[in-house]
Amino acid sequence: MRIITHTCPACGTVVAANELEKNRVMKCPGLGCQEVLRFEHLPEDAREHFLENRDRYQI
Amino acid sequence: MKGVLLSGGTGSRLRPITHTGPKQLVPVANKPVLEYAIEDLKEAGITEIGVILGNKGRDEIQELLGDGSEYGVDITYIVQGNPLGLAHAAGCAKDFVGDDDFVMYLGDNILKSGVIELVKSFEAGDYGAGIALQEVDDPQAFGIADVDNEGNVTELIEKPDEPPTNLALIGMYVFSPAVFDAINDLEPSWRGELEITDAIQDLLEDDYEIDSHVVTGWWKDTGKPEDILEANRLVLEDTKLNTAGVVEDGAETDGRIGLADSSVIEDGAVVRGPVSIAENTTIKSGTYVGPYTSIGANSTLEDIHIENSVVIGDSEITANGRIVDSLLGRNANVESADDLLPEGRRLVVGENSQLKL
Ligand SMILES: [Zn+2]
Repeated sequence: MRIITHTCPACGTVVAANELEKNRVMKCPGLGCQEVLRFEHLPEDAREHFLENRDRYQI
Repeated sequence: MKGVLLSGGTGSRLRPITHTGPKQLVPVANKPVLEYAIEDLKEAGITEIGVILGNKGRDEIQELLGDGSEYGVDITYIVQGNPLGLAHAAGCAKDFVGDDDFVMYLGDNILKSGVIELVKSFEAGDYGAGIALQEVDDPQAFGIADVDNEGNVTELIEKPDEPPTNLALIGMYVFSPAVFDAINDLEPSWRGELEITDAIQDLLEDDYEIDSHVVTGWWKDTGKPEDILEANRLVLEDTKLNTAGVVEDGAETDGRIGLADSSVIEDGAVVRGPVSIAENTTIKSGTYVGPYTSIGANSTLEDIHIENSVVIGDSEITANGRIVDSLLGRNANVESADDLLPEGRRLVVGENSQLKL
């Protein structure tokens, strides 16, 4: 299973795509980091892959 | 070599203690379980550590560990979110790990021997992965490895009916970056998770050699209250304890006692080690603190007899009674009902608590 992550450009915290997709727009979970992370920040092919296989990234 | 430290999970078997925080922060001998893992990695020369966070306790874990500088390590946080399995957690660390090898350590595990030998054994050959094993009495209940004469793993079997060995996998692994290709090829198991054992099995099938290292000292998964008590006992048995605080004349002490410098054992109290007592705690007259007990910070004990127990901290325990084999969460208070009418116990007990009266 392809595992997709995004790295916060401000603090370096890595966030899994399932977390980004769940929230769509979220404050970075890095403590004290104010960066806003968006599912749209992922490359297009990663987003498409994730959405096509969305069920497998849930529990 | 990098480190990947898993700190997710719901901690459901440790409720109610984990209603308010992650299981990896439950203290053993007055130190959060997770700190033992950081120290083990550091001791093995691993200072770049990725800490995997689940859905629970993200802020608390970051507050404790910070950027790692207090521990002499450099921490990157990796938010896995949903618990999609150990292999998913490892996969989330791919960008962090890059082309390095890495140790994967389950943050609620604690083991006597650390990871130095596991890493050494892995680095002595050209392996795709290395796994830590321990001999168990009931191999049917574990994931079991079969190994050849050189200690190379030949097969992994989950809870076998006819186990080929009694060597169980414990939560400690070393991986080469080849594991990421294996993870990429994995499908979720019947329970909807990406299983790390499946990834190792794939490496085997791709002709990678898998090293094994048999851990001889104790190892404990601290998932349940009785495990916390046992880990506390094992650590107190092994750890150097330093009496920095005040032991008043007339206090009776023997055995090894860890006493923080701001804490006091008062005249008329009895403390028998091994015992650990954290900061700003007072053991008052009439109290007995018996072996294998850890008392957290900012607590007062009076009249109570307590042994083989963990008091996490911020507690007032002032009843005249015996507490044994117990785990008391932060801010839990135990007072006397002797002068209250009608006679009887008075309890305010949280969800999922367990009491034996
Ligand atoms: Zn950030």
